[in-house]
Amino acid sequence: MKLLPWEYGIRNLARSPSRLALTVAGASLVVLLVLVAGGFIRGLAGSLRSAGEAGNVMLIGAGSEESVERSEIQPAVATIVLGSVAGIRQTLDVPHVSPEIHVQLGVERSPGAGALPASLRGYTPAAMLVHPRVRLVEGSLPRAGHNEAMVGVLAAARMGLAANDLRVGRTFYLDGRDCRVTGIFEAAGTVMESEIWMPLNDLLVLARRDTISTVIVALDSATFDDLDLLAKQRLDLELVAMREQDYYAGLSSFYRPIQAVAVITAGLIALCGLCGGLNALYAAFVTRVRELASLQTLGFSRRAIVLSLVQESTLATCAGGLLACMAGAWLLDGLAVRFSLGAFGLKIDSAVLALGLLSGLLLGVVGALPPAWRCLRTPIATALKTS
Amino acid sequence: MLRPKYIPLVMRQAMRRPTRTLLTVTGVALAMFLFSSVQALQEGVRVATGAVAGETTLIVYRQNRFCPAASNLPEDYRARIERIPGVVSVTPMKVVPTNCRTSLDVVTFRGMVAEEVAPRATWDLRTGSVRDWVARKDAALISGGLARRRGLRVGDQFDAGGVRTYVAGVFESDQPQEQNAVYTHLDFLQRSTGRKLLGVVTQFSVKVADPARLDEVASRIDDEFRDDRQPTQTSSERGFIARAAADIIHLIGFMRLLGWGCLAAVLALVSNAIVLNVRDRIRDHAIMQTLGFSGSLVARVVIAEGILLGLLGGALGGGTALAIVRLGSLGLTNEGLYIPLAATPTMLLIGLIIAAGAGVLASLVPAWQAARREIPTCFRAV
Repeated sequence: MKLLPWEYGIRNLARSPSRLALTVAGASLVVLLVLVAGGFIRGLAGSLRSAGEAGNVMLIGAGSEESVERSEIQPAVATIVLGSVAGIRQTLDVPHVSPEIHVQLGVERSPGAGALPASLRGYTPAAMLVHPRVRLVEGSLPRAGHNEAMVGVLAAARMGLAANDLRVGRTFYLDGRDCRVTGIFEAAGTVMESEIWMPLNDLLVLARRDTISTVIVALDSATFDDLDLLAKQRLDLELVAMREQDYYAGLSSFYRPIQAVAVITAGLIALCGLCGGLNALYAAFVTRVRELASLQTLGFSRRAIVLSLVQESTLATCAGGLLACMAGAWLLDGLAVRFSLGAFGLKIDSAVLALGLLSGLLLGVVGALPPAWRCLRTPIATALKTS
Repeated sequence: MLRPKYIPLVMRQAMRRPTRTLLTVTGVALAMFLFSSVQALQEGVRVATGAVAGETTLIVYRQNRFCPAASNLPEDYRARIERIPGVVSVTPMKVVPTNCRTSLDVVTFRGMVAEEVAPRATWDLRTGSVRDWVARKDAALISGGLARRRGLRVGDQFDAGGVRTYVAGVFESDQPQEQNAVYTHLDFLQRSTGRKLLGVVTQFSVKVADPARLDEVASRIDDEFRDDRQPTQTSSERGFIARAAADIIHLIGFMRLLGWGCLAAVLALVSNAIVLNVRDRIRDHAIMQTLGFSGSLVARVVIAEGILLGLLGGALGGGTALAIVRLGSLGLTNEGLYIPLAATPTMLLIGLIIAAGAGVLASLVPAWQAARREIPTCFRAV
């Protein structure tokens, strides 16, 4: 098959700079919206999926398998586990058993300023063993009994505050009590980054609770079945054993309807863009019916002409897609989104960028084929007579 | 204005290129569908949280708490609230959502004292009976929306969030907070969840005699418990929902941007279509002017075509959104509070006006160009 020269398509693109600019801008907008939807889904799923450690088991209250915030178990569960299950991971004789409380409380920037919803976790030093991805990046760990806390890098975003409002040395108020920020931590993009961590006993006092939410255990030679058996034998404790990864996978699937809404929205916007693109290309190609017929008389096959037209539109939409991907990687990646008991960063990773580029490519190909086919369907003699 | 006799001309102009018209109308319909959906979410928030005159219900919640799991008030607060002047009745309630997070399918258990459930005027019990509900301790009255979504009927066993209940009745209600609700016996729910303690509730619903004294009574209740182990925060029912559903309201604020984006898309699509049509019809417009059409009339025909495209797309997209929202009983739940999508015919009408307005705006420049073009120039341009 004799193909049209590559330059022919490129020169055609420059015939109407305003139309080219519109096509590139339209494709950029559509691809950008696809990137937002993709980044939202990847960010949300990633913050939950990667939050659980392989080999960690959570002991939570029966009936609270969907939401650890609802769980209330006895603080003694941690010592019961230590005394009942052998083979728990240890570091320098310190067992990896972390009793924790997860609670949603209202936090005030200043007394009487109005409480903002915040996710708090009460922890003991063992938490650093079972959550190895938590890393203090600024300041120091809070001391027990001193009304101190460390905050995740996205905690301010979760509360709708500026990052500056929760920097090291700042004070916030919990139930009227002042609490000083001593450190900032990262947790590899997991949901923990939107939390405020305080020493367990301090938070128990502030939350006025005498129960904890969960005990997280890191396994060594012990198996999940050992902890499951303990939960089933000690009916008085009303416990359920869950792999930490299963718990967060459950949360991830809980958000599936919201993720589906994001996908559908992005799809509808892309379709909207496709309709606009098809319309513009129909008009653009119809004015060239005579030119396309002339090319056929010169010996170029219809397939070669379609390829050239697809090349034109694909070049324009891919340029738009590339621009959108650059803007997305620069402006959207890591952008904090406050959402439902937490916050996460939009994740514009290689998979999302590939999806964006593919969308641009598809817009170009799918947008060009129907109008190209329509123009080439006209018999050559009729097309040559077209004004 | 355009005289009615020109309407067939406008229609014929639009139908001369059916593929392009279809593409434009489809694009506008998609954009208006999204715009109307965002409007329905905003309307839902307004209905659920907006202040209304004559409101007489207060919600007493644990101070500085948002999640029902964290609001634990002693049931004996009831007697102290009842003694406050202006209070007509106090209803304790234990609220247990299957998940405090935001999603589309959350079940909210509401535990109430049996005698206080029966006289609820906002219900229309469709199947089952309240007598059966009173007779069984694990019985539940569930909302029609939830029953349809989960395929539940009277006599079924229903398990959610670790609470297993027997469906004794299915009710319908127009109250947003009852759309996803499962009403159980208070003591049953207290024994089934959390620390399984009797005597602890999530909130009190307080009826006040005089709407004008709502704020005064709320302050008195909070003063009463200020120094207690569990201080309270009392607000109007709608104010309480607005505070507790802050995450959804934040999300909807973000969605508003999407709504504006959709309007921009409508503008771009209609504008694109009209610009292309006007360029294709330079000769037609010259002939029309030769036949005696004034420049202004040609411009009005072009604008009318823009309005037609906007209206067709608006009706299709807005109508589909209205139908889906109405038939689908959709809504978001956060912290156990339900914010339904609310779509009304008025909203469809507003959508149509906006779509028509976008049509006018999009066709102004091409119409102006078509009107100003000289006849010889038009013929030379072809």
